Amino acid sequence: MASVAAWFKERVPLSGAELAELTNEPVPNHLKRWWWCLGGTPAYLFVVQILSGILLAFYYEPAPQTAYDSVRYITEEAAFGWFLRGIHKWGATLMVAAVVLHQMRVYFTGAYRKPRELNWMVGMCLLVCTLVVGFTGYSLVYEQLSYWGATVGANIADSVPVLGSWAKQMLLGGEVYNDRTLSRFFILHAAVLPVVMIALLAVHIGLIRLQGVTEFRFADEDSSRPKHFPFFPDHLLSELAIGLVLMILLSVLATVLPVEMGPRADPFSTPEVIKPEWFFYVAFRWLKLFSGTFAVLSMGLIVFLMFVWPFIDARLRRNRPSEASVWIGILAVLAIVGLTVWEAAVAH
Amino acid sequence: VTLETKRIIVFVLSLLFLISLLFVQQREVARRRAEAGLEQAQVAVPANSVDCVDCHRETTPGIIEHWQGSTHAEKGVGCVECHQANAGEADLFSHYGAQIASVVTPLDCSRCHQQVYEEFQRSHHAAGGNILASLDNFLAETVEGFRGQFDPHSPTPGGGVGARVNGMASAQSGCQQCHGSKVGLLTTDGGKLTVDDLKPGPDGKPTNTAALEQVQKTAEGKPLLHPGTWPNTGIGRINLDGSLGSCSACHSRHDFSPRRARQPENCGKCHLGPDHPQKEIYEESKHGVAYRDLIDDMNLDADDWVLGEDYSAAPTCATCHMSGNLRNGGRITHDPGERISWTNRPPISLRMDTNDKHKVVTETDPAKRAALIADTWQQKRTRMQEVCSTCHTADYVNNFYQQYDDFVQLYNEKFAKPGKQIVDSLRAEGLITKAEFDEEIEWTWYYLWHHEGRRARHGTSMMAPDYAHWHGMFEVSERFYMELVPQALELAEQAEHAGHAGGAKVRAVVEGILARPEHRWKDHAQAAGTAPAGSAPAAGTPPGAKGETKPH
Repeated sequence: MASVAAWFKERVPLSGAELAELTNEPVPNHLKRWWWCLGGTPAYLFVVQILSGILLAFYYEPAPQTAYDSVRYITEEAAFGWFLRGIHKWGATLMVAAVVLHQMRVYFTGAYRKPRELNWMVGMCLLVCTLVVGFTGYSLVYEQLSYWGATVGANIADSVPVLGSWAKQMLLGGEVYNDRTLSRFFILHAAVLPVVMIALLAVHIGLIRLQGVTEFRFADEDSSRPKHFPFFPDHLLSELAIGLVLMILLSVLATVLPVEMGPRADPFSTPEVIKPEWFFYVAFRWLKLFSGTFAVLSMGLIVFLMFVWPFIDARLRRNRPSEASVWIGILAVLAIVGLTVWEAAVAH
Repeated sequence: VTLETKRIIVFVLSLLFLISLLFVQQREVARRRAEAGLEQAQVAVPANSVDCVDCHRETTPGIIEHWQGSTHAEKGVGCVECHQANAGEADLFSHYGAQIASVVTPLDCSRCHQQVYEEFQRSHHAAGGNILASLDNFLAETVEGFRGQFDPHSPTPGGGVGARVNGMASAQSGCQQCHGSKVGLLTTDGGKLTVDDLKPGPDGKPTNTAALEQVQKTAEGKPLLHPGTWPNTGIGRINLDGSLGSCSACHSRHDFSPRRARQPENCGKCHLGPDHPQKEIYEESKHGVAYRDLIDDMNLDADDWVLGEDYSAAPTCATCHMSGNLRNGGRITHDPGERISWTNRPPISLRMDTNDKHKVVTETDPAKRAALIADTWQQKRTRMQEVCSTCHTADYVNNFYQQYDDFVQLYNEKFAKPGKQIVDSLRAEGLITKAEFDEEIEWTWYYLWHHEGRRARHGTSMMAPDYAHWHGMFEVSERFYMELVPQALELAEQAEHAGHAGGAKVRAVVEGILARPEHRWKDHAQAAGTAPAGSAPAAGTPPGAKGETKPH
């Protein structure tokens, strides 16, 4: 045993103490409260998505002629296929929800402020990647929603001045949805975006590791007690507990509300109701409120402002402490919730 | 803003977001389930039907429930779209400000379903009301009932249902519920006004408007429908506007379910029983067995329901006779006759050569016949074979049709034509009256072709061997040899005793038939003194008996 350990030590020159030092970062006390731990949740769900996605990819065939039937095979015939698909689908929903909750916490606690502006921007990149991976994901099923969702998405891209038609071409692999579109979506969904997200996550976590977690101290805390507790095993156990609860939640959702097969994509039959996945409801409602190029450009502007928010906030706070960000945040969340609920509530 | 306040803000907003997410997911799941056909879609009641729905939800909630689950409701087709009536229509009345009619006819449906309407109007289904002049109708109206009313002959304990007996009750509750009634408006003197009185024009409005003055109406002004003619969803109903049939015969009123129309149980409302047991025949066939087993794979809720594309587990009645298939490009027809190559309805089966009016051509002269035919039986068979070939090879299908043709020809030549010839000769010679069903032999003949003969032919056409043989040809032959022939000979003998020359003529006809090779088995068997089945020719078999079974 000792010789095996020595063999490894020789090739991986890292001692147990160094490893503990690397991983066992002191964690601020506020993270004992589990609802402050939502940053780890999307990461955990990302792993679930990768694992379930790999299993689904064993059966999935990305071509218009075969995609729908292969998903139907997964859903109706493959052993536990329905469960895996349910986990993947509900995992995506929970992942987006967890990202939003995490971002809300970061925003309202000002955790994006100097010196963590860059990490906020990396987080924004992760948010965009999550949404795009969701979009390309439901496009793969080749249901009516998939086909027409992709077509509507491409047309939205097309309405962007100058770059629009190029973006549409890149998305669809042609002027219109064609035989090559699905394979494009599949590669984006199953290879390109996950790799990009892994890289971004590495940077995101690396920056947290370098700068430490933003520290909060609540009024009811005993100031004489230590401000930190060890990552391992205390915090890791909290994360594991959250992970297990998430798995239970995912299993319940996948079982009680299994994913159904929608109608097969029919390029010649526009459905009366086209709705994207719920996490695009806010954008979809926005597009309906302000039609055309204005809607697309204004949405782009909002996303850009979100990107650079740490700098705007710094500007606002340059001369005197300002809580404008809190009020703007409340309004933004209310707007997002309102538009999403509105879109969900109406048929058209 | 303190950290504590921020904590509360984050908590409240997160809670709001999660609650909104629950709502959004509930809507999303409901929508997905509806798309997958697992749940009723969200229905928005069209503005012009809101009042109807609100009121009828209280008075006739079942109707509203049915409608809410329909494709019509999903697509925004409400009450008024179907029930609306235009000024001048015979059964129009004003109902809380809306001009409507109770009876929705195929002409009403044609406002949206024009092609379906045209196919259906030319179909044999739509012509089902022609039974009003048929033997079956004579049975129900005259033999079973009475064309009119008569007085009860003794009091009924607890009270009768009316002062007089309705002699048409059997026809109204039996025949007409499948074949269709001639819908009538009740007149003030208790009579009825039908299409014959109203003489509607192409728009369905009566040209004889004077007749409408006799119509009995409620205090609200609603014209009353004659209870002997309505309610009725017979497929050949003859409507007040002159259109034929009833779409709800198959599609059921208010939910208009394509799913139900695709299932054999739907056809089984009428196509069952001793005279045309198609439903039971189907159940006996391998097709029906597969359907029963694989109903979960039938994809009955599919939009187009194309055989070979949406499903291939088993065919139903609709699959073969009406629905689209891979070979015909998914083309649906509402004229089931388009794919039928024999009509097995009459005593003697006929090839389904049809004229430009879609009626079977009965002309026998080849040249004249050819000139009359607009659609040949071969074309119809080809259409049916498109269905068959989704699952069966060409050889398989062709050999089946060979078996079917052989069977029908055997029935026609051995029993149907001779049977008809015997009955016709009895009538021609005056040995029986021209009236139907007043002599025993007429009942015998009716059983032979109308019940047993049809069972045999339908049994073969849909691959149910027990119906082809035991419920079919076995009973046909028993009826022929043990009843029809002896009864004809007895009538001939009675006539001969009475000095009626027709007796000898009828006897000659019967003996001529029995002398044919296919009927001489009885003489041979009797001569041999043994049953012939499976046995070697016995001693004493008449010379020449061997090899005489060739068709003549």
